[in-house]
Amino acid sequence: MKANRTATPYLFLVPAMAVFGFAVLFPVIMTFAYSFTEWNGYGTMVFVGIDNYIKAANDVLFRDSFVHVLIYIAITIVLEVVVGLVLAGLVSVHRRGSLWFRVAIFTPVMLPMVVVAVLWAFVYNNDFGLLNAALQSLGLDSLQRVWLGDPATALLAVSVVSGWVYAGFYMTIFYAAFNQVPTEVIEAARLDGANEWQLFRRIKVPMIRNAITVALLLCITGGFQGFDLFYVMTNGGPYGATEIPTTYLVKSVFTFQNVGYGSAMAVVLTAVVVALGLVFTRVNREKPEDVRS
Amino acid sequence: MSLTERKAPSSQRASGSKHHAGRKTPLRIPDVLFTGALAVIAVVFFFPMLWMVFSSFKSNSAIFATPFALPTEIDFGRWVEAFEIGHIGQYALNSIIVTGTSVLGILLFGAAAAFAFSRYRFRGRNLLMGLLALGLLLPLQSYFIAQSTMFTQLAITDTRWALIIPYTAMGLPLAVYLLKVYLDAVPNELFEAARIDGASDLRVFGSIALPLLRPGLATVAIFSALSSWNEFLLALLYIQDDALKTIPTGLLAFSSRYVTDYGLLFSALSIVTLPMIVIYIVFNKQIVEGITAGSVK
Amino acid sequence: MPVTRKKTLAAVAALSASALILTGCSAGGGGSDDNVLRIAMGSPGEAQIRVWDDVAAQFEAANPDLTVEMNYQDDDLYQTIGLPNLLNGRNAPDIYFEWAGARLEQRAADGFAADLSDAVTSGPIAGLFDDEVFGSLTVDGEIVMVPHAADVANVLWYNEDIFADAGLTPPTTWDELLATCDALDAEGIIPIASGNKDLWAAGNWLAHLTSRVVGEEAYSAALSGEADFDTPEWVEAFGYVEELADHNCVNESANAVDDNEGAQLFFQGKAAMHAIGSWLVSWAIDEAPDLNFDYVNLPTMPGEGNQESVIGVVTGYVVNAKSNKQDLAAEFLALLNNEENVQAFIGAELTPMALSASSGEEIDSRSAGLINMLESAPAIVLPPDTGYDLETANALYAALAEVLGGQTSPADAVAGIDQKLG
Repeated sequence: MKANRTATPYLFLVPAMAVFGFAVLFPVIMTFAYSFTEWNGYGTMVFVGIDNYIKAANDVLFRDSFVHVLIYIAITIVLEVVVGLVLAGLVSVHRRGSLWFRVAIFTPVMLPMVVVAVLWAFVYNNDFGLLNAALQSLGLDSLQRVWLGDPATALLAVSVVSGWVYAGFYMTIFYAAFNQVPTEVIEAARLDGANEWQLFRRIKVPMIRNAITVALLLCITGGFQGFDLFYVMTNGGPYGATEIPTTYLVKSVFTFQNVGYGSAMAVVLTAVVVALGLVFTRVNREKPEDVRS
Repeated sequence: MSLTERKAPSSQRASGSKHHAGRKTPLRIPDVLFTGALAVIAVVFFFPMLWMVFSSFKSNSAIFATPFALPTEIDFGRWVEAFEIGHIGQYALNSIIVTGTSVLGILLFGAAAAFAFSRYRFRGRNLLMGLLALGLLLPLQSYFIAQSTMFTQLAITDTRWALIIPYTAMGLPLAVYLLKVYLDAVPNELFEAARIDGASDLRVFGSIALPLLRPGLATVAIFSALSSWNEFLLALLYIQDDALKTIPTGLLAFSSRYVTDYGLLFSALSIVTLPMIVIYIVFNKQIVEGITAGSVK
Repeated sequence: MPVTRKKTLAAVAALSASALILTGCSAGGGGSDDNVLRIAMGSPGEAQIRVWDDVAAQFEAANPDLTVEMNYQDDDLYQTIGLPNLLNGRNAPDIYFEWAGARLEQRAADGFAADLSDAVTSGPIAGLFDDEVFGSLTVDGEIVMVPHAADVANVLWYNEDIFADAGLTPPTTWDELLATCDALDAEGIIPIASGNKDLWAAGNWLAHLTSRVVGEEAYSAALSGEADFDTPEWVEAFGYVEELADHNCVNESANAVDDNEGAQLFFQGKAAMHAIGSWLVSWAIDEAPDLNFDYVNLPTMPGEGNQESVIGVVTGYVVNAKSNKQDLAAEFLALLNNEENVQAFIGAELTPMALSASSGEEIDSRSAGLINMLESAPAIVLPPDTGYDLETANALYAALAEVLGGQTSPADAVAGIDQKLG
């Protein structure tokens, strides 16, 4: 590395920092500034101090949206990370012919979420949807329901779609990580009489702890930013049962034109996500082993 | 296949495969059971997509009456119809332009920035790196409100730049981070040798750093192409002009307009989906590597 | 070294030039000095889009230097995110669709509605309309909208064949409606189809119902924020909505499917009735040409309101006050409402407001009946989402949906509206 007093490094940095500063950093600062105002996006802006934050703290819908997204994240951790881990475990034991399997499981990741959402709205459709039809043909008519119209099932139904998409994604990450576990360790354990489950549980999973931490971070921060599935499949309904911070934010800002209030909620959300991210990176930094290298 | 596996020392890999080929110990769980379980899981995962394609060849009443039945005839007429009246060609072109330009910007700007961070020490280096690293954590919500009012005031909305600029900006932090890791691993002697030969900074960047970065650039390209291709929220907010819509928002417009013609809608969904599946099967190895490296940031 | 640095500089400058193109190039834009007349609206359906495209072509033929650019957006998107974004964006429309009422007033207050008084009284639009219609289109003494169509926002459509087979007659009172629901439900037919995912479909229907119970004035006061919702009258009104739920009057999926899917249940004969607006006629002609159907107004309710009231709204086109083609825009609106084009719109199942609509081509009897009903209505109730503040409307809609879905008691739902609105 060169100590350099010339302008050269800055010149290399100008394009990236210009775009990043213009489209991300500056808006972050402005969003923070807006959060202390009452503004509809084009009229007069009125400074209101921390009123918007007080409103957010007392806003039942905003609080509910946090509860919903936390439930959503909890479900997706199981359906994406845990299922992905188990699938990766299965595939790494039984590699022969696993390529086509990995292709099948991974394919949904490639699809635009909007396509996924429209497709799954049909799967859940009350009148001819795949799910109710499948239940009927299995003689489980009593389990049939309006999956996206019942507040008891809507959030779960959307989470399952997320699981369908991302289980393969996490499987892929974990599969790569499993392949890095030194074979000697596994051989040794096997000589000691460990079976595949014990190997998985006691050796392989602990050894890819870093990858799991990263996956959890991705799943959690990604979950907070969820939007596409919710917007297309339920738009927050039924009865607000799937209202998450992002859909609520979009409604507040773009439908009801409360830019100031929406910004305050955005700041709260940002604080939560960044704090979680920092906690996780701190934890992760203690073990600097890099999965990639 | 993963990046990890490919890069792993050959001895480890060899011993791994030897182990699997010549394992003496009997299988603890029968092969058949495994294969069966995997097959069932794969079918469950794949079925919604198959159903979508089958349904695209059916009439409304057939979809209602026998949702599981195979279509009685395969007629691509509906696909052609969906493609034409759905402007899918236009949406795809827009997606290609927006994604292509964004990825190009990310690669070029990202590589230049990574080069600066990796090869130089300069005042403000840690601050700038910290700011970019923050970009890895910042959720979309932290900036999209002000971004949209700003874009509106600058009259950028309803142009392709309204998507290209934020997609590029959102892709840069990860690109810089990953590419810097690659560059850091390059022995300093390589650069010093070139410099002694009188190469300029730019030449060092262009003819030494960039070629060395090729695998890293491929990873970044795949990762950012996928996220730009599928981005929805900003596209929904910034593009109202139908002629500029990308696939996600274009398809949403199509689906709300023809929501009751299920066969046509399934045709449109299939048209959009199948190329992605083909691309994935062809580039499966590279894509998986890209995703793995990209997400394990 | 200096040479090196210069080269570096040049190259990096090239790199950042592309960044500048990215960031800077469009900063000066925003004006619409080009020769394009931009018109924006929520999609009016394929049949009417053909007429619009034809009108645009006529206008281009008469003004050879000019291009007319039509922007047909998704309906719900236009109403919420779409129009505000367009108005504030580059290439803002010169003419845009709007609903009369609070929305129109807001546009005028925000400086997006040009004064059309001259065009209407002495300019190109003079004589095309009955002067009375401009009453509700005037804000602060300025005429700010040219009407195009009148929509009845909700009536009860019924399938004549299903009713005949079941020996039923269309309900005209509340008790008859409940009895009809019971009879149909017992036969396994969905009594009333609704696609209320976006909340306005059943929302408008049930808002009309509540206005009949609480009275038009109390309805308007609550939605305007001048009175609370939490009164015994509103609770009583919501109580009737609960009865709908108790009698299985609507499809189980009502709050999960959108208005298109709700209509599909009616078109396919799965539902005997459908509560939606006058636009159903043009839809049905395209999608279910063999369906025999007619309508009745909302059955009379026990309550304060006028039991002959009609929920309806005048829609039309506003000229953007920021447009530099306001005269051209007025000419376009005149062309749009000339006799020939009015007849073409009638052919596409629109019911235009222009005077010439009463002559010439036959309007569908149901559309004619609806327009007649609206014109002779003793009281007109404005739909919450177009007549009043959208946030208030949404709170009312959400509460109605909860009670219709059997989620909340009338008392809690009503109290919840006030709480939500703070």
